[in-house]
Amino acid sequence: MNAIELKNISYTYSRGTPFERLALDDVSVSFKAGIITGLMGHTGSGKSTLVRLFNGLEKPENGTVSIFGEDIWQKPKEIRKYRFKVGLVFQYPEYQLFEETVKEDISYGPKNMGLDNSEIDRRVRDAAELCRIDSALLEKSPFDLSGGEKRRVAIAGIMAMQPEILVLDEPAAGLDPRGREEIFDGIRDYKSSKNATVIIVSHSMEDMAKYSDEIAVMNNAKIYMHDTKEAVFKRAHELCEIGLDVPPIAYFSKELADLGLPVSESFYSVEACVDALDTLFNAN
Amino acid sequence: MIKDITLGQFFPGNSLLHRLDPRIKIILTILFIAIVFLAKSTLSYLLVLAFTIALIIISGISFKTVLKSLKPIVFVLIITSALNIFWTVGDDLIFSFWIIDIYAEGVNFAILMVLRITSLLIGTSVLLTYTTSPIMLTDGLERLLAPLKAIKVPVHEFSLMMTIALRFIPTLIEETDKIMSAQKARGADFTTGSIISRAKALIPVLIPLFISSFRRADELATAMECRCYHGGDGRTKMNTPHLKVIDILTVSVFIVICVIIVMLNRFA
Ligand SMILES: Nc1ncnc2c1ncn2[C@@H]1O[C@H](COP(=O)(O)OP(=O)(O)OP(=O)(O)O)[C@@H](O)[C@H]1O
Ligand SMILES: [Mg+2]
Repeated sequence: MNAIELKNISYTYSRGTPFERLALDDVSVSFKAGIITGLMGHTGSGKSTLVRLFNGLEKPENGTVSIFGEDIWQKPKEIRKYRFKVGLVFQYPEYQLFEETVKEDISYGPKNMGLDNSEIDRRVRDAAELCRIDSALLEKSPFDLSGGEKRRVAIAGIMAMQPEILVLDEPAAGLDPRGREEIFDGIRDYKSSKNATVIIVSHSMEDMAKYSDEIAVMNNAKIYMHDTKEAVFKRAHELCEIGLDVPPIAYFSKELADLGLPVSESFYSVEACVDALDTLFNAN
Repeated sequence: MIKDITLGQFFPGNSLLHRLDPRIKIILTILFIAIVFLAKSTLSYLLVLAFTIALIIISGISFKTVLKSLKPIVFVLIITSALNIFWTVGDDLIFSFWIIDIYAEGVNFAILMVLRITSLLIGTSVLLTYTTSPIMLTDGLERLLAPLKAIKVPVHEFSLMMTIALRFIPTLIEETDKIMSAQKARGADFTTGSIISRAKALIPVLIPLFISSFRRADELATAMECRCYHGGDGRTKMNTPHLKVIDILTVSVFIVICVIIVMLNRFA
């Protein structure tokens, strides 16, 4: 079953002005339910634009967007209900915080869903826990937090709506390795506890090697590749051509194989590398 | 929606109008307004119309773009012409029905009025906003008003404030759009409900917007101080524009047209 299915989607910014720009060019792509898909591509390739179509924030010029098989633009008046099915975390979401306390800010989404107070409270605690937000922080003002903490509060604000599909645009941009890990671990926990579908826009090959199951690569307003991460990383040469790269550790794996060492299969994450080296040493 | 505003937007280019000195362009705009208001006869109106079209062609901006920028005033145009058509009383009755009397003078006047407003708007935008970057514009204004410094008017500070305000309008629009989308993604609803509930729905947009504006103003002030900005006194420009032959020539052309219009008025 496909969670999201796009058919022949095109999108142009500032149509009819000198600044016209085709951001999506006849894109057809579908995202499988229940897995984490990484959406990659160099700057300006159209990732953010694509992601904004998933919950009906933008309307495509032509083509259809379906969520679990339902065409979301069938009844434009009811578009709001898809906002709760597809939770979208924007690039730099910390700038959208506005409430007096962290707790109230996280409850903004659930409140808009019209849930009762005890359910809201339960969801806020659940989301805060997933995003590693200390319960002492819940009563603080969101403006007194560090950048990384603000980011996690903003993500918790979406998770508290418990969307079946969670889409995050560069959730870890500008954070240190520890901050990135906390955020990605939170996303992974959300996926497994809610059995959700997750799509992460990211520039980091290492993060995607570690956390994603499939990878879709965009180039020049089109989907360029879409496959399992292993299959995508095998095409290192093509990735380089469009300004991306494979994780550095993948080159190491290739070097080992080229030396004729019996590494069972190519690896893309540090953990897999350690395992492979372990077996190598034990074999000798 | 918000991002589709073209009124008052700069279109980069390299036409004759783009290359004129901004001071001259401000003067030309004043002359153009004078030309439009001086025109009183049909013949002089035709000249104004031709002149406006000539300006659009010289600026290299497509007619489509220019016409699109008129959209916001279509309503004003309709009301003005309706008022003129139905309320002008003349000698030449051309249509009469029930309590409605329409005179040829009214129709005539309505057409002239529409022409006047559109050419005024198109002419000033083509001369100034479409072909002059906001920075050039305020720079020209500052230099034009420089003599007022003698009577202690803080011309430089005013023009700096204007530059900064103009510079941040697109940024603010973009930011508003972004925050609105982000809150919509959290289920905010700006379009339905009573006025009060809609106004309340704007709070989650306004607060982040204010906070980021203050942060931005603060950062800008710090950045300016780091570069030793200390106000207008003793400050020189990196590129001081000098008047060129073409600048003088264009002003002369405008003055000549002014004179011709006045003469055409007599002939009608
Ligand atoms: N509001 C806008 N108005 C006009 N053009 C836009 C707008 N937003 C994006 N674009 C253009 O559309 C193209 C795709 O932009 P998009 O934001 O989808 O890229 P992206 O893949 O998310 O890039 P990044 O990795 O830098 O976030 C870019 O070329 C950009 O210049
Ligand atoms: Mg982006």
